[in-house]
Amino acid sequence: MKNKLIMAIALVMALVAGWTATTTTAQAATDDSLAQVQKSGKLVMGTSPDYPPYEFQATVHGKSQVVGMDVAVGKKIAKDLGVKLVVKSMSFDSLLVALQTGKVDMVISGMNPTPARRKNVDFTHTYYQGGYSIVINKSDKGIYKDKDSFVGKTIGAQTGSTMYTESKKQTSGTTVKGMTSVSDLILGLQSHKLQGVAMEKPSAQAYVANNKELAMIPSKFNLSASDTSASVAFAKGSTSLVAAANKSVDQIRKQNLVNKDYLPAAGKYLKTNTVNTSMLHYWKAFLKGIEYTLIITVCSVFFGFILGVLLSLARMAQGGVFATALRWLATAYVEFIRGTPMMVQVMFVYFGLGLIVNLPALTSGIIAISLNSGAYIAEYIRGGINSVDKGQTEAARSLGMTKGYTLRYVVLPQALKNIWPSLGNEFITLIKDSSIVSIIGVSELIFQSNIVRSDTYRGVAPIAVIMVLYFIMTFTASRILNHFERKMQHD
Amino acid sequence: MTKPIIEVKDLAKNFGDNQVLKNISEQVNPGQVIVVIGPSGGGKSTFLRCLNLLETPTSGEVDFDGQNLTTLDTKKVNTLREQMGMVFQNFNLFPNMTVLENIKLAPMKVKNVSDADATKRAHELLQQVNLDDHADAFPSSLSGGQAQRVAIARALAMDPKVMLFDEPTSALDPEMVGEVLNVMQDLAQQGMTMVVVTHEMGFAKSVADRVWFMADGYIQENNTPEEFFSNPQTERAQDFLSKILM
Repeated sequence: MKNKLIMAIALVMALVAGWTATTTTAQAATDDSLAQVQKSGKLVMGTSPDYPPYEFQATVHGKSQVVGMDVAVGKKIAKDLGVKLVVKSMSFDSLLVALQTGKVDMVISGMNPTPARRKNVDFTHTYYQGGYSIVINKSDKGIYKDKDSFVGKTIGAQTGSTMYTESKKQTSGTTVKGMTSVSDLILGLQSHKLQGVAMEKPSAQAYVANNKELAMIPSKFNLSASDTSASVAFAKGSTSLVAAANKSVDQIRKQNLVNKDYLPAAGKYLKTNTVNTSMLHYWKAFLKGIEYTLIITVCSVFFGFILGVLLSLARMAQGGVFATALRWLATAYVEFIRGTPMMVQVMFVYFGLGLIVNLPALTSGIIAISLNSGAYIAEYIRGGINSVDKGQTEAARSLGMTKGYTLRYVVLPQALKNIWPSLGNEFITLIKDSSIVSIIGVSELIFQSNIVRSDTYRGVAPIAVIMVLYFIMTFTASRILNHFERKMQHD
Repeated sequence: MTKPIIEVKDLAKNFGDNQVLKNISEQVNPGQVIVVIGPSGGGKSTFLRCLNLLETPTSGEVDFDGQNLTTLDTKKVNTLREQMGMVFQNFNLFPNMTVLENIKLAPMKVKNVSDADATKRAHELLQQVNLDDHADAFPSSLSGGQAQRVAIARALAMDPKVMLFDEPTSALDPEMVGEVLNVMQDLAQQGMTMVVVTHEMGFAKSVADRVWFMADGYIQENNTPEEFFSNPQTERAQDFLSKILM
């Protein structure tokens, strides 16, 4: 089962821990989780749709949507509660935080109920019992039989997953290499960097069925039930909701719905999905990615610029205690933002601020990147303002213009001209760096390409496509910026 | 007796330990042309810049039109400043705007003059300084003499009561000095009150009402140009005049 540790976001977790503690105790005291879901009329399910046949993106009637056996389980639970199911996509790493911060009501993402995880969230009964297999290149069939055949070789598994831990524990003389996504692992297998990839049996079946060059062998790992079972996770203390969901889960088990209905249905989607794996067929997905990448970049540069102007002015404030405090605050902000990773900032805004106001992922992404970009732009602007001759300010002031007017009409336009190349650089950097928001499930270009990769089982082609697309965007942007730079030249 | 338009009382200015102005007290009457001359480093420019508070005096007061600028709030200083036009050695035209835009900016933003009125007035002023055909040029395409005349027109656009000139011809090629001085002379004849820091002795002789000789942070001598140039009173002035080519 996927059992990835939330290593990357440990910092965010620590920061929000205080709030989380208070929220969870509040929930425990008065559990109105079921009533709240019924009142809102919808049940929000968080999942990471890169894991066929559990959950993956498929084009249904021309529209891309999340399908798979976990979605079927979610639908069943929602239907039994008499509410609508809403599926929210995000990276697997982010799922449990999203649950704790109330971004989603439940998580169904092939998640197994380990004791460590039980400390933070509540699980339903098991709805599916799986097992592990090892995927190998078909040409190696016969060489490898099970986990013990890889002495002196390298096998891969998802970083931090149970597969990863157990592979390390239960093999000897074998190098175990971790990667974040299964598509990358398969790519590593096909390029012979890995000789085998440990993954769940249904996933292995899906990959083998869709890629003629792959084969699967049994893993023969010794596994406990909790390592191979999948459960639905709810926020800690939502006892009434768990009890209600358990009724649905029990029915699923009793009627064997997963094997009888859900898996075959998911297989059908997989088939239609991989009929046409040409990149052109996915132009809509890429276009959507470009659209979001541009929206994020343009909005972030716009708000970042406004913030940058304010910050640079604050950093240059003079006179009085207030000005000193302002200067100190602005400097501290700039230093702090420049000294922490943008990825952590994105997660902090989405999950951390999410405890106070429920912001959609796209908005959170734009806010986080604007806040980040503002710190950098502030430094450019400060340099730009200092580069404008002091005589310009004196001339404007001698004409009776206020400090504000002088700045706005005389100094800033000239500063802008001086820093235009740096600002352009920032803009182009943001086109590329906006990809970070893919971790909170914003469908920008990287996110979309990952979906295409897991849809088509083609590792390299989508990467090549987005490389070209990114280049087209940045090259066009730099042409446009150069055009305006020429327009501003008067001397 | 006419009321002075500018009155300076015990004006002093320090830059760190360096005392640049030492307790200056003088006055300027409406319509007067004052030419401030003296050796470089004597505090002339600092003195001029203290008059419109581009430099904040360390002590003493600057009265403009009966109001002590050093005690007024920023807003009031801004409104009084617009009545004192200033022309700089390096012109300080706004390089990102055309000549016309340079002149129109302050009237439109500070006085809320309409675009049409500001344009009309700008053209009148450009005619006055003989540059109306350059209205749409950018400053970088102008010669030094032309740029300085635009700067004068820009200052005049605020209809100031006093014009301050800070070495207006020092950065110019010699053949362009004349065109700028002519414009200043016309202005003086129209009755504009002017305080001019310059090294142009000819201008001082023919246009000034009073010559202030400034050295070592003091106004050493305040005299008529005739008296000053033919019969300087102080030894410092005699020394200065003997060293310059007349």
